[in-house]
Amino acid sequence: MEEWKPNPPVKPHKKRSWYLAWKYKLMNQRALRKLCQTGAVLFLLVTVIVNIKLILDTRRAAYEEEEESAQDYDDEMLNVEVPRHPVNKKVLDVEVYSSRSKVYVAVDGTTVLEDEAREQGRGIHVIVLNQATGHVMAKRVFDTYSPHEDEAMVLFLNMVARGRILIFTIKDEGSFHLKETAKNVLKSLGSQVAPFLSWRDMWTFVGKKGGEVYGEKHAKSPALSTWGDPVLLKTEVHLTSVEDAECHWPDTELNRRRKRFCSKVEGYGSVCSCKDPTPIEFNPDPLKDNKVFDVPVAVIAGNRPNYLYRMLRSLLSAQGVNPQMITVFIDGYYEEPMDVVELFGLSGIQHTPISIKNARVSQHYKASLTATFNLFPDAKFAVVLEEDLDISVDFFSFLSQSIHLLEEDESLYCISAWNDQGYEHTAEDPSLLYRVETMPGLGWVLRKSLYKDELEPKWPTPEKLWDWDMWMRMPEQRKGRECIIPDISRSYHFGIVGLNMNGYFHEAYFKKHKFNTVPNVQLKNVESLRKDNYETEIHRLLGEAEVLDHSKNPCEDSFVPDTEGRVYVMFIRMEQEADFTTWSQLAKCLHIWDLDVRGNHKGLWRLFRKKNHFLVVGVPASPYSSKKPSSVTPIYMEPPAKEEGAVAVPAVAAAEQT
Amino acid sequence: MQKINRNVVLALLSLTSLVFLLFQLCYYKFYLSQKNGAAFSKVRGSQSGQDSTRWHVVRKFLGLISSHNIPVYLIDPLILGLVDKDIEQIRSSPDGPSPECKYFCAPRDFTTFALLDKTWKHDVGLFRTAEKMGFQWLKIINKDPRLDGMDDLSGMEIPLHYIFKLASHAIHLVVFYERSGNFLWHGPLRLKQHMDRKFVPFRKLHFGRYPGAYEKPELLLVSIDDLKVQIPKNPSSFLEEMSHSRFLECRYREARAFFQLYPDDASVDAVEFRKKAKSLLHLAALTLNNLGVKFWLSSGTCLGWYRQCNVIPHSKDVDLGIFIRDYKADIIPAFQKAGLPLKHKFGKVEDSLELSFQGEDDVKLDIFFFYEEDDHIWNGGTQAKSGKKFKYLFPKFTLCWTEFVELKVHVPCETLQYVEANYGPEWKVPVKTWDWKSSPSNVQDNGVWPIDEWDNVIQIY
Repeated sequence: MEEWKPNPPVKPHKKRSWYLAWKYKLMNQRALRKLCQTGAVLFLLVTVIVNIKLILDTRRAAYEEEEESAQDYDDEMLNVEVPRHPVNKKVLDVEVYSSRSKVYVAVDGTTVLEDEAREQGRGIHVIVLNQATGHVMAKRVFDTYSPHEDEAMVLFLNMVARGRILIFTIKDEGSFHLKETAKNVLKSLGSQVAPFLSWRDMWTFVGKKGGEVYGEKHAKSPALSTWGDPVLLKTEVHLTSVEDAECHWPDTELNRRRKRFCSKVEGYGSVCSCKDPTPIEFNPDPLKDNKVFDVPVAVIAGNRPNYLYRMLRSLLSAQGVNPQMITVFIDGYYEEPMDVVELFGLSGIQHTPISIKNARVSQHYKASLTATFNLFPDAKFAVVLEEDLDISVDFFSFLSQSIHLLEEDESLYCISAWNDQGYEHTAEDPSLLYRVETMPGLGWVLRKSLYKDELEPKWPTPEKLWDWDMWMRMPEQRKGRECIIPDISRSYHFGIVGLNMNGYFHEAYFKKHKFNTVPNVQLKNVESLRKDNYETEIHRLLGEAEVLDHSKNPCEDSFVPDTEGRVYVMFIRMEQEADFTTWSQLAKCLHIWDLDVRGNHKGLWRLFRKKNHFLVVGVPASPYSSKKPSSVTPIYMEPPAKEEGAVAVPAVAAAEQT
Repeated sequence: MQKINRNVVLALLSLTSLVFLLFQLCYYKFYLSQKNGAAFSKVRGSQSGQDSTRWHVVRKFLGLISSHNIPVYLIDPLILGLVDKDIEQIRSSPDGPSPECKYFCAPRDFTTFALLDKTWKHDVGLFRTAEKMGFQWLKIINKDPRLDGMDDLSGMEIPLHYIFKLASHAIHLVVFYERSGNFLWHGPLRLKQHMDRKFVPFRKLHFGRYPGAYEKPELLLVSIDDLKVQIPKNPSSFLEEMSHSRFLECRYREARAFFQLYPDDASVDAVEFRKKAKSLLHLAALTLNNLGVKFWLSSGTCLGWYRQCNVIPHSKDVDLGIFIRDYKADIIPAFQKAGLPLKHKFGKVEDSLELSFQGEDDVKLDIFFFYEEDDHIWNGGTQAKSGKKFKYLFPKFTLCWTEFVELKVHVPCETLQYVEANYGPEWKVPVKTWDWKSSPSNVQDNGVWPIDEWDNVIQIY
């Protein structure tokens, strides 16, 4: 170290002298030096030990962490492959086929539509693709061979946002009822063939709404009895950027939901309008003293997303609605209904379908009701709705005013928002309630104890092809209990496609149903709906009722005098409790529900005619027969001839589940 | 020269090692305080900074949730433990300022709060505000067990846990859900693949290793360390409840598979029996819970739960197990008061005790008392006419909560071993004829009761 001092500046010099002094001292004190050496060695040792401990600790901790992530806190589905997003392609290959018996559409080799079923899918098939992603946003078929379907198609095409890619193809026949308006709409989309489409022509068309045409092919039918040759259109569609395909709404939570929805599906009109989108949050007035705020609402749905959309809009607009209590139960793993549910920020549950037809519906009801009471274990009731109902603005107000009856009156089976006999011409008073021996459904309240103790344990099993509502109406289940219904229904059944439903049937029995639109209706005399009070009330009513002229024809309008606000009574023949011969005929000529007996209470029916309360008593089966003046002979109406009866039977079956 | 060299080398080495050692010590302390501050509290030098951090984080969190009107309550076992010691004082002075930070400054990694799901609206605004306040947060979602059942339903995943992290402290918010059976449930904490495994030391969380079941707690608003917070009214009983709160779901998927193989009996008799068995079980649970006697589903009832998530319709009775250490003389009068007369009593408290009560129409409630040995647990059986004794052996087990026929009840956590011990490896196959003396695979002859004891150990009413 001594040689290590070539240019000695001041500081090292000082240091050096300090070092030398120290060294000198050490030299002289061997013992001390030894001590220092030992100390140094000890230091070294300690360092080593600490080091080793540190390494061990770190490793242990790291190991623990690994173990933790490996064992306790990992989700079981660790090995699920995350689906890779497809590489953003700029061009889509589209193939469209049109023929008499088969249509198909393939996008980039994936078949998005294939229909070769016989006797089905006739008309113009329309597919809407997202112009940025190429995803299918809507799939429709309009049977333009039949009347009015072209109007529906025009409505649909108008709702599709600009810029979307539209694909058209005809199966079998699509021109018979394709009117000028519809042809013009197709022409405005860029089709050159559409205005000249004729009987049994084959046609395919791909274009962008409000933009370019990607291709069109047409094959003319040579003769009335033959079809045009199959056509196959192959074309390319250029995708735009995602930015261009979206609207630029302000960035709020609501609009994020809207954006998600609008980029996936089409055909919901103004909800996806860029300029002035219709609201998806409604904030109706809250109800004062709302007794049903905490009652869960189960919406039973299938795959009718447009219906569900309409239904949820009306439900969420009803005063006193509590969106947190709403659960939508979808029978099947359909995406679009779920998209609708998410659009409104509600919770939706999908159910793996069990069994077929009516039994499938019935199993879906059971699963939904069970889940509802599991999700809301505190609830004493559940409101049960279906996806094809409009809900009155005062639906919850109606329930809030009446629900205590269901809690206190053991003789009640349900409260229903639907009056089977409440048509435009037979219902009048929004504040009036009835007790009826039938279970109308279509928006009703179920008591938890009834479900858990009675219905759930013996609910029809999947192999029984029963309708849940028919089953609930059976005496073994109903046990003589009654339902409370309003005179004017608080729900409206708008569904015209369904398991037991078609346009004609809907037109005849549902279209003219009265639906309350008045908010905050104060119900009249709710206490009189209790079991014993109701009898007093009926006797009072019958006491003041004027007996109609039984010599006239009850089907004639003149049967009821041209008055308003009076109470009239008529007596019909009803030999025993189950004799509804005359009633059915009367119901038929009054144009009310006549497919089975609904709305009766101990042989008494209550409705309105010409704004007068109109009571019908079945004599002698009804206990109210005693009110009949001895001079009056109950009216008897002949049942129709046998063959007509035979026709009526399938109609009843079809009407049961509505 | 050489000597000097050696000395210099030594001195230099010592110096470096000294520096190194210091560095190591610092690092070690830092590392440990981050890892588990509590365990190594002796190396805490100036901890006051850390302490007040915890308090501040809790205060900020409470501010956050109260600004969104979300009612949470404190369930942190560490703090509740400290609070419980001073509970009288805290209760009596709900508003008094506290002189020192005694509870929320205690060393720990987390502070745990509970949130009742139905009391908040899943408002996303909460998380925006949290981020603005500097919190990092993590949400753990999973499937909703309330949708599990014989029907195959799938809904949106529900939030089970939230973790809010600020500085070196984290808040663990456990979401509780109401279940049918009138109890609260919280889910397990499971990280999904993409989640940050190092977000917090998950292993040290007090909740989340298993799902748990709790009674609905009564809450008390108190002020501790100058923070207003809701706590369970009785912290010690909450802590006791927490120590064995583990919850098992019924195996619905397996039950569905079972019913595929052996379709359910939907006859009127089966429906009726199930209804009676359910109400008997509800009555028995009410009676035993009122006495504070812990019981579990045993034998056929346990098999029914495990195999088919329901009462076995042909089982004809309801079976419960009770540890003999929990035996109370009040049991018999309590059941009689509840309208269930004693049908027979076999054995005695010291040996092979078994009680049987008569429920509505032939449905019988059997209560077997279990005796714990070093390596197994057993219960006894007695044949009335011969005085023969039997012994049923089970491997040791602990108790878990489950939900059965809308009731929160105990079952052995090690259910499979329990059921297999009782019914053998073929337990999955329904057997309609069952002889309790020979059919169980764990039965052993256990001698005969001495004749002079018969009056006492074989009582039939």
